Amino acid sequence: MTNFWKPPRQMDKSVSPISRPLNLFRISDFGLRVFLLCCAFALCGCDNNPNPPPYHERRADGSPWVVRYASLVSDPKSFDPQFAYDVTAQRALEPVYDRLLDYHPMKADPFELIPSMLEEIPKREDAGEGKVSYLCALKPGILFHDDPCFPDGKGREVVAEDVHFSFQRICDPKIESPFYEPLAQRVIGMREARETAKDAKYDYDKVRIAGFETIDAHHFRIHLSEAYPQLLYWFALHTTTPMAREAVEYYDGLVHDGTVRPSIHKFYTVGHGPFRMKEYVPRQRIRYERFDGYHTSVFPSDGFPPEKAQWLQQFAGKPLPLFDELHFAIILDTIPGFVLGRQGYIDGITANKDAFAAVVTRSQELTPKYKARGLELEKVMMPNTFFLSFNMQDPVVGKNAKLRKAISCAFDVATYCDIFYNGVSPVAQQLLPRGLFGFDPNYKNPNGYDPEKAKRLLAEAGYPNGRDAKTGEQLTLTVEEPADGSELRQRAEYEKRAFETLGIKIIVNENTHARVLERLEQGSFQLGSGTGWMADYPDAENFFFLFYSKNFPREGANYCRYSRPEFDAAYEKMATMENGPERLALIQQMNAMLDEDCPIILQFSKAYFSATQPWARWTHNNPIMEGGFNKYHQVDAAERERLQPEWNRKPLWPGLALGALIFGGLGYAIRWNRKSNV
Amino acid sequence: MFNYLVRRILYAVPILLGVILITFVLDNVMTSPDEKASRVLGPKVMGKARVEWIHNRGLDLPLPTQFARHLGKLARLDFGTSWQTQRDLRDVFLTGALPSLLITGPGFVAAFCASVSLALFQVFVRNSPLDRGLTLLSVGLMSVPTMVYVIFGQAILALWLSYFPAFGFSFAGFGTVRFLLLPVTIFIFINLGYDARLFRAIFLEEINQDYVRTAHAKGLSNARVLTVHVFKNGLIAIITLVVAQVPKLVLGSLLIESLFGIPGLGSVLVQAIQTGDQPVIMASVFLGSVLYITGLIATDICYALADPRIRLS
Amino acid sequence: MSFFYHWLTQDVLVIGAFAFVISLLRAGAKNERWQRAWLRLKKDRTGMIAFVVIGIYLGLGALELLQIPAHTGGSRSILDVLTSGIPNERTYSAPLADELFGSVRGERLEGHHLLGTDVLGKDVLVQTLKACRTALIIGGMTTAIYIPFGTLMGILAGYFRRWVDDLIQYVYSTLASIPEILLLVAILLTLGKGLGTMSIALGVTGWVGLCRLIRGETMRQSERPYVTAARALGQTHWKIVTRHLLPNVMHLVLISAVLGFSNIVLAEAILSYLGVGAPVGTSSWGTMIDSGRTELSRDPLVWWNISAATAALFGLVLSLNLLGDSLRRAFDPKRG
Repeated sequence: MTNFWKPPRQMDKSVSPISRPLNLFRISDFGLRVFLLCCAFALCGCDNNPNPPPYHERRADGSPWVVRYASLVSDPKSFDPQFAYDVTAQRALEPVYDRLLDYHPMKADPFELIPSMLEEIPKREDAGEGKVSYLCALKPGILFHDDPCFPDGKGREVVAEDVHFSFQRICDPKIESPFYEPLAQRVIGMREARETAKDAKYDYDKVRIAGFETIDAHHFRIHLSEAYPQLLYWFALHTTTPMAREAVEYYDGLVHDGTVRPSIHKFYTVGHGPFRMKEYVPRQRIRYERFDGYHTSVFPSDGFPPEKAQWLQQFAGKPLPLFDELHFAIILDTIPGFVLGRQGYIDGITANKDAFAAVVTRSQELTPKYKARGLELEKVMMPNTFFLSFNMQDPVVGKNAKLRKAISCAFDVATYCDIFYNGVSPVAQQLLPRGLFGFDPNYKNPNGYDPEKAKRLLAEAGYPNGRDAKTGEQLTLTVEEPADGSELRQRAEYEKRAFETLGIKIIVNENTHARVLERLEQGSFQLGSGTGWMADYPDAENFFFLFYSKNFPREGANYCRYSRPEFDAAYEKMATMENGPERLALIQQMNAMLDEDCPIILQFSKAYFSATQPWARWTHNNPIMEGGFNKYHQVDAAERERLQPEWNRKPLWPGLALGALIFGGLGYAIRWNRKSNV
Repeated sequence: MFNYLVRRILYAVPILLGVILITFVLDNVMTSPDEKASRVLGPKVMGKARVEWIHNRGLDLPLPTQFARHLGKLARLDFGTSWQTQRDLRDVFLTGALPSLLITGPGFVAAFCASVSLALFQVFVRNSPLDRGLTLLSVGLMSVPTMVYVIFGQAILALWLSYFPAFGFSFAGFGTVRFLLLPVTIFIFINLGYDARLFRAIFLEEINQDYVRTAHAKGLSNARVLTVHVFKNGLIAIITLVVAQVPKLVLGSLLIESLFGIPGLGSVLVQAIQTGDQPVIMASVFLGSVLYITGLIATDICYALADPRIRLS
Repeated sequence: MSFFYHWLTQDVLVIGAFAFVISLLRAGAKNERWQRAWLRLKKDRTGMIAFVVIGIYLGLGALELLQIPAHTGGSRSILDVLTSGIPNERTYSAPLADELFGSVRGERLEGHHLLGTDVLGKDVLVQTLKACRTALIIGGMTTAIYIPFGTLMGILAGYFRRWVDDLIQYVYSTLASIPEILLLVAILLTLGKGLGTMSIALGVTGWVGLCRLIRGETMRQSERPYVTAARALGQTHWKIVTRHLLPNVMHLVLISAVLGFSNIVLAEAILSYLGVGAPVGTSSWGTMIDSGRTELSRDPLVWWNISAATAALFGLVLSLNLLGDSLRRAFDPKRG
């Protein structure tokens, strides 16, 4: 009753959204409740486990029911695969909706695609005039989850037409899909399909996408107007996942026969993945249960990292998922995640900046206390790069490459990473992060930290010791800083101090993250902090397009407003190329151009340590698809049951001491009062 | 009585209109339609998609038209949707009110009882060093910022001693209690200082009244005068004072909820403030003032019940 | 704008503000009621201790408020000059430790720190002292905004009654009906972060209570014979208000100002926690407590940052509250 939604079958008939919460008050006699509540005080007060009991004790065959406890850092914005674009939504959706292709769970350098719902990785076919097409074959026998939207409540088979429906939805202006632009640029017929729906509704029956050719139930072909190898990466994103039209039409968020059907756009899913979403309570938890009809993929039997290969061998080829229930606790704060992990109520401890020292020693190993507990340390490297952006149209910093380089050289990234990432996140030496084609591990950023060089460059730029050589006035720069929360504030302060070592004056313009982005888009800034890029897919094009001159805001994300014809030419050529030596050469050229012009101050690629509990060793080490990889996880429930109580011993003496204090105080007060009243 | 009530409610209407106007103006000064679009669609969505979004929601209309629409929406109890979570705010408020009440309700009652007992005890031993010490303690309790209570309470009781869950919440029948104990305890401490001091002053004022002297003259014992007469009369004054706070309890306690992960309205608000989720802030302002006004009307009714002369004025 | 940022302007403003407050108090001291209250206050030990403590805080704040020209150009505060011998470390160090704390590579410290250093290696004691300035600026500016305004509105409403009263009552009931913290946040999000905007926001929400109090007292005073007599003698409204009413409500203003100051300091802490508090680079107790929260999950614990800030904040607020109580007792001995 208190859940935000449950499938309609389990809902009261009469519930309208307004009356739901009120129902709680009439469950039973109020007085009785108060009495029982008081009794419960003593009983429940002493348990600190915040997780709700699992759905079942045992599986149908009698073996124990296994739950995995993980966490999310925010609420997903939407559960609509064609609309959701935030990381949390992706993590929440991926267990429910399988993708056409997946990433290999163990291969992160470089990333590698493997088939998931498709029989094999589609092959490129050249169709002449620069056009290309991809023939795709869906695996037969993939089922949608059972749901009342299907006849008899039984999930039907996934067919090629469901993929077409997803592409139609991306075109539907009502959905406001953020994936429309990049796809419509290449997939033939998407623009035309959207045009038909300008004013009226998108007609799913009549308006088909010309570039999507349905061959039979399991085969379809996608036609592109130009070569676009990145299409395969789009297949590994949740946005191209097949959708059941019945479900979209059934779950419209309106009232039918007196019951509310939750909107599929926001709070409901009908998928075909290894898990089905059972419950979503905003700001508390999302719970999933295994889908018994899942046979799409099995545990891989290659690519095991050598140190774990022997242990992983036992899972090779096993049916997925490896456990029965997935529990995402939504934890908006950084501390509780660590605390709950320490108490064993979450299966992984993400060591934030502050808790880090408790878990990891200075030589980046587990501390003895946690080693004794049997924890395992995993280093996760994210495919992203963070940097500060210069405004290339600014009259001061935009026209003066030496000044930009001087500022870049003044920034001590290593210490920055030491303080805020405990030295785990590597200093970024180039735009591309590790794991992408074109990343060069031996490359050194020529504009990296060098205080001497910074001083020299600043003088050459016309500002010796931070003062204008002509007027003698101190150079003043404004930095846009996102500053919600104490940590961002500390970072802002660090950046301010780092630049001020040059003798220039820094004015920090603090705002919420959204406001900073707004200013970056408007171009009313000199230096913007907190910018960076997280790979949508692991391809160089997804990073270099940030400096392509046709991607100026508002249409694109070239916040620096960097524009150089040679760079554009190289980018255009590189973008549609297959990986190879020729492409590598182009990437190196582009890197050199960026170094020469220095439109950004490279900071770091994010990496973090995750300490996993002894009962939940990680079976993968690939950060690009955290939600989707849940199916590969394993949990040893018996081990957890043994260790949890051991880690949560509650000392008695503080309670006794407190009681003694109160009674002592009371007794003293009474005696004193008697004396004074006599 | 009925007429009086109607008059009070009618008086609240212009105030509510003023509040709506203030929030509307603030809302429009705070963010441009373009920024709103960027907040909802995400930073990676740009260009035409945004213009369309703005147009679809009528954010490009002249402000008076928008204000009229805004009023219409509020009349239909349509508060809009959150930028951060895309949830309908009416739903957010309805689901958030109960957890908030579960913290603030028991907390309020417990803090009230504790403060009244302490105040009465102080009046009992008034002007003694103990009384002075306790008054000093009350002022001390008042002088600590709320978050320090929460931070230290959480650190000591939940993190080090593992007595209570450090974080989280779920409706699990009586199991819910375990999530409430610590927040409620802290709620008591936050309010104890201020309330006890206030109530003590009220009781002291009662004790100087004539009827107390009469009671003493009749030969009643000190304790009896205090627990029966002073307590009863003082309580009426106190209750009329605190009634105004009761409706506000729905909004929960900002810091407690956000630091303990109680999914009530308080934590919704903190999250909204920290992420700049404007619709939530604006709707809460409106809701908060409605509740406040309700509280005032309730206070007036209490006064009127206690003192019939007021009704006539 | 740069005129206001110039160190000399700032010094003149600070000294002017202090001088203004002192002259106000001296003007008040001519009043017989105030003289009696002062005599009573002198006998009140807690009140006097609180008074002295507040004086110390004011002095420390003044050290940071007053600027002198620095040899590199620009200006430095006196506190900066006094503490210029204390070096910056890389990151945390414990009180009186000589090795860096919790960093990846262990390092020797460059100096000694009585209360340790914070995440960016700044001396906690210096930060705590610097935060006095932030508290004083916010408190002072807010008081300067809301006290004159609230008093004026209160007297107008209480003296003229009728539509003036109705209008003023309407405005403050509307403002009062919005939950204070939300109004603060909404205003701050609109005006942007900064000490000035925070003072404006706190002023907007703060005058309501004072106005209500003064309005009631003015109403009571206007019924008194001395006011009706003045009216009968045909004195102007201006004269009645300034000569008769104002001196008789000023003691309430003083008490409210002292208690209000403590509320402002507390409010700053909460606003900083919510992320709309003091701007980057400005030390404040609120931001120190806020960052201290995450530090409490460190192991070994980083306790000095949050403890120092809490203690400093507590000392000021407690003294203000105690002084306010003592003043109330001194002015109105029967009800104390």
